[in-house]
Order: sequence, then structure tokens, then C-alpha cells
Amino acid sequence: QTVLRSSDTHPDGYPTVEAVKRFGELLSEKTDGRYTVEVFHSAQLGQEADTIEQTQFGVIDLNRISIGAFGTQVPEATVTQLPYIFRSTEHFHNVLDGPIGDEILAAFEAVDVVALTYYDGGARSFYNSSKPINSVADMEGMKFRVMGSDIFVDMVAALGGNATPMPYGEVYSGIQTGVIDGAENNYPSFDTAGHAEVAKYYSLNEHLMVPEVLVVSKVIWDGLTPEDQAAMREAAKESVAYQRELWQAAERESKAAIEALGVKINEVDKAPFIEAMKPVYDKYVTDPALQDLVARIQATEG
Amino acid sequence: MEYWILFGVFTALMMVGTPIAFCLGIASFATIVYLGRPAIVVFQQLNSGLAGFTLLAIPFFIFAGDLMMRGGIAARIISFAGAIIGHVRGGLGQVNVAASTLFGGISGSAVAEAAAVGGIMIPQMKARGYGADYAVNVTSMAALIALLLPPSHNMIIYSLSGGGRISIADLFTAGIIPGLLLAVALGITAYVVAVKRGYPTEPFPGFYKAFQYFLVSIPGLMLIAIIFGGVRSGVFTATESSCIAVIYALLVTLLVYRSLTWSEFVHSVLGAVRTTSMVLFIIGAAASFGWLMAYLRVAPILTDLISTLTTDPIMVLLLINVLLLLLGTFMDMGPLIIITTPIFLPMVQKFGVDPVHFGVIMILNLGIGLNTPPLGPVQFVAAAVGKISIWTAMRSVWPFYVAGLIVLGLVTYIPALSLWLPSLFR
Amino acid sequence: MRQWLLPVSGVLRATSNAALWLAGFGLVAMTAIVAFQVYMRFIVNASPSWTEGAAIMLMSWFVFLGAAVGVRENFHMGFDVLLYVLPKGAKGALRVISDIAVFAFAFGMIFYGGQLAIRGWSVNIPVLHVPQTMTYLPIVISGFLMCLYALERILLRLAGEPVDEPPAELVTEA
Ligand code: NA
Ligand code: NA
Repeated sequence: QTVLRSSDTHPDGYPTVEAVKRFGELLSEKTDGRYTVEVFHSAQLGQEADTIEQTQFGVIDLNRISIGAFGTQVPEATVTQLPYIFRSTEHFHNVLDGPIGDEILAAFEAVDVVALTYYDGGARSFYNSSKPINSVADMEGMKFRVMGSDIFVDMVAALGGNATPMPYGEVYSGIQTGVIDGAENNYPSFDTAGHAEVAKYYSLNEHLMVPEVLVVSKVIWDGLTPEDQAAMREAAKESVAYQRELWQAAERESKAAIEALGVKINEVDKAPFIEAMKPVYDKYVTDPALQDLVARIQATEG
Repeated sequence: MEYWILFGVFTALMMVGTPIAFCLGIASFATIVYLGRPAIVVFQQLNSGLAGFTLLAIPFFIFAGDLMMRGGIAARIISFAGAIIGHVRGGLGQVNVAASTLFGGISGSAVAEAAAVGGIMIPQMKARGYGADYAVNVTSMAALIALLLPPSHNMIIYSLSGGGRISIADLFTAGIIPGLLLAVALGITAYVVAVKRGYPTEPFPGFYKAFQYFLVSIPGLMLIAIIFGGVRSGVFTATESSCIAVIYALLVTLLVYRSLTWSEFVHSVLGAVRTTSMVLFIIGAAASFGWLMAYLRVAPILTDLISTLTTDPIMVLLLINVLLLLLGTFMDMGPLIIITTPIFLPMVQKFGVDPVHFGVIMILNLGIGLNTPPLGPVQFVAAAVGKISIWTAMRSVWPFYVAGLIVLGLVTYIPALSLWLPSLFR
Repeated sequence: MRQWLLPVSGVLRATSNAALWLAGFGLVAMTAIVAFQVYMRFIVNASPSWTEGAAIMLMSWFVFLGAAVGVRENFHMGFDVLLYVLPKGAKGALRVISDIAVFAFAFGMIFYGGQLAIRGWSVNIPVLHVPQTMTYLPIVISGFLMCLYALERILLRLAGEPVDEPPAELVTEA
């Protein structure tokens, strides 16, 4: 019996953590108990960039990770980190469940991991402590903490905001004291990080839907029989429905929790935000193959 | 078996006298090799363990503390403290505690504080007929006040080790009352011991002179207001405040006091580099060790063990305190916080202990460990300044230990001492 | 052995001093960068995105350089109690074991740090736009210096030089 160790930066009980546990159960069934999965949640084995390297070297076996953490290492995956590349959850699912999704998964082989499947990460929106954001003009001069990613920094700049570097752990007190005005994330993270205690405005501009991926180390993968490889792919695909179910429930619960804390949630007209992203696309989608990929994603229904 | 390799290799190398960082690194290396996984992760964690933005506070506060010491900021604060409290019995002992309290409000390093306050106070105390052991013990215990009063980079390390979700601002505020309580307890102890030994008092210099001392120490005292005010009002973050402390210390010593020479500046820089490198290299190696502890699931196993022993929160806290005190005698504060927080924090949280409260308990507890050999860096510094052996200091330190342990007991079992003040700011 | 060992030791002292000064320069530069970050955010309201990453990278460079200097200057902290109790001969033996341990780990820093550095060549660090090799290079350099310094200590001790005296300036922190 082999125990496969899987990393996750989210806390225990988070939809991705639970989905990987389910994946482990399914894999165990399909392989007659020869393979089981142990999830190390809460970044116990390191932050995302570290655990990617660990997976590549075969130190750990599996990794549930945000595509954003791969940065620009996998060009095809970079496309999914573009603001407003997905129009809706339905569009997001249609693209990733179809041939385009498989094409992007296959691209990960270039960085020594085998990508098994996508999970939902929800839509990310801006939140802050001073006012509801209704228009691009409202973003002017506001200080938002974003992840250390070029696309994020350029996106905030294109909206007229001030992308401020800050470690995630300091965001709570940063918003509380006014060092920054706010940050951006999905409902569950906004809720569980406690930021809703200090940032009372959550504006649904939904700039990003970054897919989560489950990857397996190529070191492990190459040692599996073709049957076990197939079992692993099947188990991963079968865990997706469960994750999506949990994700929707988590979003509902978090939304309720946020509202209970007195956070004002407002709808936003997204058209001007989408319009403002043109320079970001011009900067990151220069390669004809990527331009074609973007066009095909945009042409997908949903 | 892998547990024996991890802890056995570490202990064996430590007994031989190998520097702690290498004990941690080699133990991790041996374990991962035994497990048959790529050893590369040990060196990856060595790097990423010391490369966090919040860790910048460590070099900055050490650098700032050194500049304040060499540039005369610390000396002026001590003169002021002497003017206001020197007339109490054992006056210079009181001055030492008061100066440590004031200095502790701008420095987060107990060693920097022991060096800064002790460097000036201990020779003076010896010259006035105080026992060198008394001077050393007051200095080393009072230096712990710096750990509790904001700023305190150890609290930042704690917040980080706790998963980064513990508000640093709350931790800083929570340390204030326990820090002042420790100051009072040590002041009383210093008084009682001074009376027993028949130490003299200092004459009160008069209000005019006291006011003069106050005036010249204002630029130094301002740093307390700048750091606390700056963080609370959102000008800069807690981490950034450490950098502001450096800039401010430089400005005051260069422009106001005009007391910092180029060669002293260079000494400060190189001294801060040495100290920081030593500390952060341990922190990096402790990250490798911590990674293996996580991989081997040491924390859940240990938690289960303690919960089979007792489920009474009072007993759990007592057990943890005893364990931390024991660990603290032979390990340094930073790595211990990093190694033990992920183990103990989830455990005490299950019993309803607030993470901010537990942070204060841990810092004070491990702080006492900084004054206990074999690895008692604060005591080493104080004893080195006082030119006495560690064993001479140890023989008469117990009244001060007792004071520290009483404060630890109060802080452990009266959560309000830590939690009341931060609750006012929410 | 001494007649050629001492000049070599002089060269190593020069490398150690150079590393220390370079590290000191890193600390000063780091101070300037973080101060600049506060200034740009609070006064100008235009945060540069590179300051955080640059400050962290400078720190890891100067810590690794400083840690190597620590091997030569003997300022890394250890648990010395057994050494006080033991007779002089046994003490020397334990010191040799420690130096071999340092050498071994430092060798690992070169070997595995090198692998990380080589692999990092094709990975760009976001925002800073330099290869990830820059993150792992200090481990390799530090490991190389540590190997030299540990070897120097072992040989000087064999030659009867007083390498185990406590460092001139007691530098420790908590
Ligand atoms: Na302090
Ligand atoms: Na100790």
C-alpha cells in the first residue's frame, strides 16, 4: 500500500481539501486499496511556489494548487489568469470541461507535472473599507493588496488603482489601520481570512476566475502502470462534481456570514471593467498561438 | 524509526556542540534521505524559511537597537530614568528596570536591550558598590520586557508560525500589560534584594535637572510614539515600522545628537549583519526541520499524546508551560516559536484559549528561557558585560526567576491581562 | 604545514571580510528599499510592486553570506555545556566532529542549492523579472565559502592554532 502525500494551502474542510480527500477514496477503491491519499492542508508543507517545486522533484506526490501559482511558466495556463477571460461560471465550466481544458492540462507536462483535473475557485472581486465600487473611476488612487503576480499588478494599474505589495498575513491589520484600502478575493477566502471584519464593502466586479488544478508529480506518474494512471485520471474527474457542489455551498455560507457581519455587497456593471483590460491582453497575449487560444475560449458558449 | 533519526541526530549533534542551525539542517537531511525522498527540499526550505517579508523586522530592529546604543539614544534614556526613579532603595536597580521598560518600547530584542542597558548600567552599578551578580541579573531579566512591549519581532514570528491569521497589531497591544506587570514585579524584586543587601539610593537631582534629562531624551522617547502611532494610524505596517526605526535612529544620531561616527555606523551595520545572519540561518534551518515534522505528522501525534494525559485546560496550559520552559533552556526563542506554535496552538485553541493570549504566554515563557543556560543568550550578554561567569549569575538569579514565573502564572491564568487592551481597539 | 596554511588563511580572511561588507551593503540597501516603499505608498500613493520582492532577495543574500562569515568567525550559536565539562583533548575531538558536520551540510548546500539554481534558470520570478536562480545562488555561494572555512578550521586546529577561542565580539540575539 502506497500513501500519496498531497499539499493544499487552504485549511481543513475547504472544498478543494475535501475534494482531494474524496479523490483519494475513489483512487483507493479503483486500485483495490493499493493507493491512498493523505492531504496536508493549511500550507503545512509550504507555500504554493515551494510545493510546486516539491512536486516537480517528487518530494511530494500530489498538489492541489491555483493555476495562478504557476505564473507564466505554462503559457497556455497563463491565459486562464487573464481578467474577464471567463464570462460566467457556466462559461468557465464549458471551456474547462471541453477540449480546450484538456489542451491546457496537457501543457503542464512541460513543467514536470501531470495535471489531472480542474476544480472551481470562484470569482474574485474587490473589497475595501471605505466605499462601494460601482465604476472604474471609483478605483482611482485606492490601495489594493494583490498577489505578487504581474497580471494582477497590471490589472489594478489599468483600473487606476494602486497595487500595493503586502504579505497575506498583514492584510487584516493593513486594512484595519488603513495602510491599504482593501484587497481582492472570492467569497470563502474573504470570509475565512477574517477580512470581512475590517473591510465592509464587497463589490461584485468579478474580475477573475482562476481555476484550481490537481497535479501529480511526473516522478510518481511515470512509475504507475497504465491502468493505475487511468484510475488516477478517472478518480480525479469523478471528484469534480463533489468539489463543485461543496464550492457552491461554501460560497452560499460565506456570503451569508459576510452579510451577517454587516458587509455591503453591491452589483457592478462589468462592461467598463472589461473594456479597461485591453492593455493587459495586449501585453500578455502576443504569441499567435495564445491569441488563437483566447479567441477559441471567447467563442465557447456559456 | 524516522522520528528517532530526526530528533536523535539533532540531539546528538547538539550535545557535541555543533551550531544549532547545522544540527537542525543535518537532522532534516538524514531523515529525508532515510525516507527515500529527494533531499533537495531541505535546502529549498532553508531558503524559503528565512525569506519572508515579515522577517525583515529582525535585521531592522537589531540594526536600530545597535544604532541607538552606539549613537547615545539609549544612554540618554537611562539618564532620564535615573532622574525620576533613582532615589528609591537600590536606586540603580530600579533605574535599570525603568530604562529597560522605556527602551523595550522601541526595541524588540532582549539581547540588544541587555547589551544597550547593561552596557551602561552594569559598570555604573558596580562602581557604586552593587554586586556584579545583582547588576547582571536585574539587567538580564529586565531585558525580557522588550519582548513583551511592542514592537516585538518575536510576536511577528509567532503570528507567522500560527498561519499568519493572528493579528500582529493585537499581539503587540496584548503584550503591553504583561510587559508592565513584569516591570513592576522586577522592580519590587530589585527593591527587596537591595534592602536585604543594603544597597544605596541615588540623590534626586531636582526637578530642573530631571526636566533637562527629559528634554535631551525626547528624541529617543519619540521613537516609541512614532512606531506605535505609525502602525496604529496606518502610515506603515508593523514590519515596515522596524525599517522606520532604523531611519529614525539614524536621523537622531546623525542630525540631532551628532554622536554617530562613520566607524560606529560601520560597526553597527556589520554587527547587525552578523547577528541577523546567525538568527535567520537558524530560522531557515528550523523551517527544514519543521517541514519534516509536518511531513511526519509530529504535531497531531504530540497533541494526541497530551490530550490522553489530560483534558483539563488548566493542566494543558501548565503542561505546555513546563514543556516550553524545558525546551527554552536549550533552544533559542525564534526557532522554538516556529517549531512549537503549529503543535501547541491548535491544541490550546481546542480548549478555547485565544491565539493572541497564547502568543503572550509563549513569548514570556520562552523569554525566561533566554536567561537559562545552556543556551541563554541574554544572560550571556549581561554576564559578559558584567565580567562574571554564568554560574556566578545563576547562583543569585532565583528571586528574579521567581518574579518572572509569577508573572508567567498570572498571564497564563488571567487571559484578561493580555486580551483586555486589544479588545479596546477593535 | 603552518608556513603555507597561514597565508592561505589570510586569503580566506579577505574573502570573509569581503562577504561581510557585501552583506552590510545589502542591509543598508534593504533599509533604503523598504523606506522607499513606505514613502511611495504613503506620500506619493504609487506603490512600486518590486520593493517587497527585492528586499526579501537582498535579505536572503546577506543572511547566507553572513552565515558563511559566521563559520569562519565562529559566531554561530551552539549548545556548549558538554564542552565546558570535558577535558581538553576530548573537547578538540568534539570540535572536529562539529566542523565535519558543518562541512557536510555546506557541501549539501552547494550540491542541492546548485540543482535548485540550475532548474530556476527557466523560471521567472514574478514582478522582479529575474530568473529564480537568483534566489538559490546565495545558498551555493554560502555553501562554498562554508566548506572552505570549515576545512580551514580543521587544518588550523591540527596545526595547533587557537581556532576555538570564543569570538571577540559576542553577537547573539533574541
Ligand atoms: Na519591545
Ligand atoms: Na535558554
